[in-house]
Amino acid sequence: MIKVGIPRALLYYQYYPMLKTFFEGLGAEVVVSPPTTRTMLASGASRVVADTCLPVKVFCGHILALVGECDYIFIPALRSVKKRIYNCSKFLGLPDMTRAVIPESPSILDIDIDINKGKLKFYQAIYKLGRRFTWNPLKIRQAAIAAWQAHLEYRELMSSHGLTPPQAIDSVKPQTPSDQATIAIVGHPYLLYDEQINHRLIHRLEQANYRVLTPEMLTQQQLESAITGLVGRPYWTYEEEVVGAGGHYLESEVDGVIGIMAFGCGPDSLMMDLVRRQAARLRKSSFMCLTLEEHTAEAGIATRLEAFLDMIKRRKKKGAEVCV
Amino acid sequence: MRIGMPHMGNLYIPFKALFQRLDIDFVIPPFNNQRTLSLGVRHSPEGMCIPFKLTLGNLIEAAELGADTLLMPAGSGICRLGYYAKTQQLVLNDLGYNAEIVCVGFSQRKLLGLLETIKHLSNNAPWSNIISAFRFGLAKLNALDRIERAVQKIRPIEKVKGTADVLLTKAVKAIDQADDNNTLKRVESDYTSQLSQVTKEETRPLVVGIMGEFYVLLEPFSNLDIEKELGRLGVEVRRTTFVSEWTKFSLFLNPLGVNEKEQLHKAALPYLKRDIGGDGWESVGEKVLHAKEYDGLVHLAPFTCMPEIVAQNIMSKTKENIPVLTILCDEQLGKSGMLTRLEAFVDLLGHRRRAKNKERVISNL
Repeated sequence: MIKVGIPRALLYYQYYPMLKTFFEGLGAEVVVSPPTTRTMLASGASRVVADTCLPVKVFCGHILALVGECDYIFIPALRSVKKRIYNCSKFLGLPDMTRAVIPESPSILDIDIDINKGKLKFYQAIYKLGRRFTWNPLKIRQAAIAAWQAHLEYRELMSSHGLTPPQAIDSVKPQTPSDQATIAIVGHPYLLYDEQINHRLIHRLEQANYRVLTPEMLTQQQLESAITGLVGRPYWTYEEEVVGAGGHYLESEVDGVIGIMAFGCGPDSLMMDLVRRQAARLRKSSFMCLTLEEHTAEAGIATRLEAFLDMIKRRKKKGAEVCV
Repeated sequence: MRIGMPHMGNLYIPFKALFQRLDIDFVIPPFNNQRTLSLGVRHSPEGMCIPFKLTLGNLIEAAELGADTLLMPAGSGICRLGYYAKTQQLVLNDLGYNAEIVCVGFSQRKLLGLLETIKHLSNNAPWSNIISAFRFGLAKLNALDRIERAVQKIRPIEKVKGTADVLLTKAVKAIDQADDNNTLKRVESDYTSQLSQVTKEETRPLVVGIMGEFYVLLEPFSNLDIEKELGRLGVEVRRTTFVSEWTKFSLFLNPLGVNEKEQLHKAALPYLKRDIGGDGWESVGEKVLHAKEYDGLVHLAPFTCMPEIVAQNIMSKTKENIPVLTILCDEQLGKSGMLTRLEAFVDLLGHRRRAKNKERVISNL
């Protein structure tokens, strides 16, 4: 059976159930790289120029981990998923860049996803991808429809049951909401759920007895209305995860919002700033932004988190004003 | 209504000509200086790129001079440029200026969009005036770029270093002051002949192509006058990016189906199959295309520039073998650090050329 590798980085958390359904529908076996480790990060970082952002370095580490494990690696060039809303250059150049920096990688299945060029082009791209596995167009169609269904179910599962992507993928039983204090974390899923690079942030918050809310727990409508309120028309593909979720949670009754971004991230440098400005304007819940990079030390994250949580606790006790 | 706009090289000259002819009230903010940079850096999100910081500094300084309508280029290019105006407006509001940023969008309506913006700014001046003023502005832009090209060739081989630059400064000033087409033509031919009379040495200088991100290429303050410095080191600089070229193609010829970048894109295809926003695709193309022609390439990019990082990653792995020096520009770039790197690079290119010549001599024997 043909093995298709999917790196557990970047787009994995958004689209894994969809991709798995699609490739399995075509009769392939899906191989996922193991969770990020320190060595993987280091090996990935050694391949690219120093200025490359952390998530891409992690991505390269995952590709290296998949070398020899599969026949193909699936790396899409995701340009836009909505009309006139574009993605970061690094996503666009991902297949070409991987080919350049990791010449030994298994052959790369790349597909151009650009909704701007019309639905027909998009369907053609899917068909072209499917043709690598089967000659039968009906089978490709079926696999694609099943994949889309799986994606919708996945989103629905997360927003209605309040699950994070890793929980939804591993089908963990949803917890019953309690009256704990809540912290919302906003940012791209490849930063929020990669425990190696964020030093188990969610785990830490849960240990401190906070309920953690993430962008995926919101519905599409909630995210979109928050973006419209804050910036009007979105500009970036993944603006929902930062501006949408940040805007929504800052208006809601959460105790604190933590923004997570990678150092040198182009879109985030603007989007996170927008969220910070909104937090300062509203003064409803406390806001902190953590910037992650390879050198981010565990102790540093722990200290900042502790200080932030202490501040929230004290504020609640005293009923004082919000700090941002 | 008083108009202000950010600086990029000598771009203020054609715009000044345009606005003066249409009787539009406008201010030219101080040329980029340390204060502009500090203002920009202080009020920008920390991870932003240098073009954002410098243009923000310009906008703040223009607002200080009383400008209430600020022009900013905006395009749905796939880099952060499309978000600049939105964020800069927020910063200006938070600082308490009630200036409004007007986006000059080039991507969608091309020439027509630009002309409509000018018409709006000029309080509905008749089209004939707008077009004649626009053409005058373009004439100045073209004249400036032609002089600059000539200077690039003379800098490395002039006997007395700095002669060409003195003439360039004078020429820029004279072009700025020319107030009709005839004067402009006279000024240009006058300076062209003066430049051709500069005494030159009989050498074949090293040729270095300079490419990368648009703004840092064209704003000498952001790249610490890299072209002048290379010229002083005896290197002839070649650059394909000029504002006049850009206007020629993106306003007039691209809508007609002529694409000047096609050649670059085709060259880049084996390594990069698609547009990645900004000037990334072109950067890879420049390296592949000019590998045989030039002795070396200097790749300029703002720190954290997304397209250029991808380009840099790919460029270092191409078959075509030509030394590339990537210089990342931001507020931390220091002149002496850059000079040391340039000197080392130029030394390396010199060695390479001598080694190549020796090889050629041996193979000819």
